[in-house]
Amino acid sequence: MAGSGWKWARGRGTKQLPLILCLIIAVATAVAGRTQAAIFDHARAALSDWTAPALNGLKAPLTAVQNWTAGVGSMFTVYSENTELKRENAELQKWQQVALSLEDRLRSYQQLLNALPDEKTPFITARVIGESSRPFVKTMILNAGSTEQVAKGQAVVNERGLLGRIYVTGENTSWVILLTDLNSRVPVVIEPSHRRALVIGDNTPSPQLELDVGDGPVQSGDRVLTTGDGGLLPPDVPVGLVSGNGEGARVALFASPSNADAVNILDYRVPDLPQAAEPLSAATGQKTASAKPAAPATPPAPPVPRVAPRAPDTADIPEELDR
Amino acid sequence: MTERTPLFVNMTSPVQLFGTLTPVLVALLLVIIANLPISFTGGLLPAPALALAAIYFWALNRPRLMPPFAVLVIGFAEDLLSGGPPGLWATGFLAAYILIDRQRKTFIELTGVGTLIAFTGAMLLAGGAAYLLASAIYLRFVPLPPLLLETILTVLLYPLLDRPLHWADRSITRLLHSTG
Repeated sequence: MAGSGWKWARGRGTKQLPLILCLIIAVATAVAGRTQAAIFDHARAALSDWTAPALNGLKAPLTAVQNWTAGVGSMFTVYSENTELKRENAELQKWQQVALSLEDRLRSYQQLLNALPDEKTPFITARVIGESSRPFVKTMILNAGSTEQVAKGQAVVNERGLLGRIYVTGENTSWVILLTDLNSRVPVVIEPSHRRALVIGDNTPSPQLELDVGDGPVQSGDRVLTTGDGGLLPPDVPVGLVSGNGEGARVALFASPSNADAVNILDYRVPDLPQAAEPLSAATGQKTASAKPAAPATPPAPPVPRVAPRAPDTADIPEELDR
Repeated sequence: MTERTPLFVNMTSPVQLFGTLTPVLVALLLVIIANLPISFTGGLLPAPALALAAIYFWALNRPRLMPPFAVLVIGFAEDLLSGGPPGLWATGFLAAYILIDRQRKTFIELTGVGTLIAFTGAMLLAGGAAYLLASAIYLRFVPLPPLLLETILTVLLYPLLDRPLHWADRSITRLLHSTG
């Protein structure tokens, strides 16, 4: 049957017709894919769910080979790296003391001001079972899906910072759109100027920085953090450092997908708005003790990390990411 | 090499069907290999479009075994597995197919470096079509360097694939001859 069909396809009278027809289908699919992405996303999710066991099995030996090949290269630079690491370590220990003392001071200020503590964001730890680096797409596949309550839009971070967002969830797998992908746009704030901006992926290792609101100066080396605008990504997740100035500014990302083995998927929810306006102290403008929101009848359960069952051996989330 | 056997005569046995579908299956296998979600270069180098080698080889030598519809299916598989927008590589592969179809008489005579140059032309056309379509979809020009890297990688790997493709082609011929 297939043969006769193909014979027709190559028939003399209509030789070019199938080719033109196929070309039209391909272009139409590309255009439709922008508006009806869900159809293809479902297919992708089903495919990754189906192949997840194989990918899981394949990943371990290939990662070992990858580590070994990377290790061979670093053998020649081990001495200089060691010297550099010792210097960095000494410097970081100084910064650690500064950070600890500032943390103490912040805690005491918060107590004085009766400030509400930051809510902790629950997270799921998942293992990276695949990554794709193509000219038009940069993605990762994780071994946690809708069964583990992974949802579209959730932030994916590692110990260094933001990697990307979930864009397709299957039953047991999910696909991550990396910050470097063409489709990625993340609202950020630049410290210390508090300038708002967008980090726009363009399939290069350092995404573009499109300055948005505010007029504070932005300099190379400034820190880039998420804003939480839009309510999908939690605020203050480290993204990277500004590199370059003005219109051509880019972001040198903290987190690299190439060495991400286990990642955290943050289940961030925008805090509920207060039911009614709270009275303020006329003298100070601060919240009075009696104006504190009434405690709920049943206290909310403390946030507990939910760990994907297939990645039990991953390390705990670092403190700085556990917001 | 030209069409040597009447491949669609009395194609009733499963063996013949398998032989006829082998080029498409090989191309799909190359799609899977190229899109194995593992990178040895830490994502620095993009995965090559290996399936184009199979499309080029059989579209040139046995067009009946690599019709446009099969190229469309292979392209969709590439799009699906790579995680990219659907239709991009399907369009690219079909653009390359048009070139091969139009220049068959010229390309089929080529050997060695000539074949590599012809394949480079096909890859450039495939990448160019995908690039233009991607730029139209995203409403901006997408960066060219990753695509150029993919083109270079694919072209460099073609000589390695040429021998296995010839072997597969000879196997198909034997299979189809033996079953009548």
